[in-house]
Amino acid sequence: MLLALAALVPSLFWDSGPKDAQKVKDAGITHIAVPANQLKSWQDVPGLTVEAASLDGALQLIAPTVNYRVNQASASRAPWLESNGWRFLRQPDGRFYYDVKDVQAALAAAEAFAFGAHALVKTDDSGLAPLARMQEFLNGLPASALPTIADFGFLDDGTASTGELMNVMIRHNLLFRRVTAPDPSLHLNMRPDHASAPNLLVQEIREKLSDDKRSIRIYGSVVVIARLQAANGKARVHLLNYTAGRNTAQSIRVRVLGKYPHHSVAASGIDHPELLDFAASPDATEFTLPELKVYAVIDLRQ
Amino acid sequence: MIRVHSERSVDQSGQSDRAIVKQMLAAGIKALTGDGDERDAWARFVSPSDVVGVKVNCSGAPRIMSSPTVVAGIVENLVSVGVPAKNIYVYERFDGQLQSVGYPKLLPTGVNIYAAESNRGSILGYDPLTYVEANFFGEDDTRSNMIRLVADKLTKIINVPVTKEHQAAGVTGCLKNIAYGNFSNVDRSHRFEKTNTYSFIGTLAAVEPVRSRTVLNVMDGLHGVWQAGPFSNNERFRFYPKQVWFGTDPVAMDHMLIELIEAKRKSEGAISIFERSRSILGDNRDPNKNAFIREPGHIEYASTLGLGVFDRGKIKVQEIEL
Repeated sequence: MLLALAALVPSLFWDSGPKDAQKVKDAGITHIAVPANQLKSWQDVPGLTVEAASLDGALQLIAPTVNYRVNQASASRAPWLESNGWRFLRQPDGRFYYDVKDVQAALAAAEAFAFGAHALVKTDDSGLAPLARMQEFLNGLPASALPTIADFGFLDDGTASTGELMNVMIRHNLLFRRVTAPDPSLHLNMRPDHASAPNLLVQEIREKLSDDKRSIRIYGSVVVIARLQAANGKARVHLLNYTAGRNTAQSIRVRVLGKYPHHSVAASGIDHPELLDFAASPDATEFTLPELKVYAVIDLRQ
Repeated sequence: MIRVHSERSVDQSGQSDRAIVKQMLAAGIKALTGDGDERDAWARFVSPSDVVGVKVNCSGAPRIMSSPTVVAGIVENLVSVGVPAKNIYVYERFDGQLQSVGYPKLLPTGVNIYAAESNRGSILGYDPLTYVEANFFGEDDTRSNMIRLVADKLTKIINVPVTKEHQAAGVTGCLKNIAYGNFSNVDRSHRFEKTNTYSFIGTLAAVEPVRSRTVLNVMDGLHGVWQAGPFSNNERFRFYPKQVWFGTDPVAMDHMLIELIEAKRKSEGAISIFERSRSILGDNRDPNKNAFIREPGHIEYASTLGLGVFDRGKIKVQEIEL
């Protein structure tokens, strides 16, 4: 069974009390989550909707970013993406929170949204406006309940090493479904081998799938993670730039399996984005997104 | 091919003499075509209706690159044939390297200076529909796309490489400048000591329209690099053959480049670029060390793709001394 992504816009978690109400509102925040014991005092603040929330029992996520590790020797020049995707896949009903600053608050909200995760974003003054802009962007997206696409199943034994294998696969834009037993509906089910050398697993999967038959490919960037939902002649592509646009916006080429002649695109921080060199062939649909700052959503249809 | 040498072409500071270079260009192109008039000779390669790309090599700029004097001389001849300045593109992949040279100072007004990557890493300057796809080392991005200007606009290309050794490819001459210089995402082929330059260079050079639109190679041998190329961070490894080469066969010209680099290295007591022992791997500030196993065999391989003649016995070289 394919899992549908629910469109969950992460809320700001703010625990400093209503004395900060004005700056929260000035940043553009319209909804916040607060500790239960502050709920009543916030409910009197006009212009904000409020919910009670607790970070107790929620898993704190890492700050999504790119770690270039330029001072460390490695077998690859590919930068390290600090992504929480594997955590979301392992705990689809989990409760999460970020504690992040500045533009990472925006990327955090987008990351959780793209993976359909329940997450709160705790931030400081620097993150309020970026988060508010991202929330506005996410709330403005057309509703979609398409199922998430997986090219293969991956047997998750729940160990830390297997979690890391899942992490590496997500960074390489290999679309998998976490399973606890082989799923006969999938052409390929992989076991968590190569724990000491995750890239070997990545290569093995690519060889078995063949790149041409992967549901999504990304060209032109190693800092973008893609997610894909599709069904009934429609598809939604999620693109996350893990630099959060701090160093440079990314221009990327995307290949989606299947023919989708029609499209619409929304990109955070960009007015009237357009796709370039759009080409829908019987096998695949390709397009170039000339600028990806933090997050973009491309809706495709037949 | 034609090889023109002038001892007066480069002064002791390494600066080239524009007037002498102009004479070298005239002598070389006339010898190549057999025409008595320089303009007639250039007119064999380009016509006024062409949109001409001058593919320079700036990978070692600003220390070493296709000399502005050579490039300016070529452009002057294109204009004399009737190609409008606005239809001439001096181009390279990386804007920073290209801009560091300062070509416009010697070029006619209106000539375009074009870099495929105004922002390093941007794919927008490349044609998304024309690419070579290969997975070398498990990289995620397996495509190398042709520069959009080349795929869409240019009708002729004049290739202007520099006589340089190359740490990965062995030498970087006509083939590598037209191959790696016209496609994106190529450094992935030489990220580790054993590279994939052997077959990838010729493969890219054989892709249309690069292959058929590259009508002339003018090798800048005024200066060169014999170790640690394509860059020239160490002045010790720079040398000055004081030559300009002309030809239509990139394989034959690159074969001669191997001979030039090997002769220079031998005179410096350096190992051959054909040395493939792992014992040579190391810090290339030592001319007997290198970061890669060099692949000068890429030139002979390219000949198997129909890109030219590698057999030394069949390569005719006419020497001209000015």
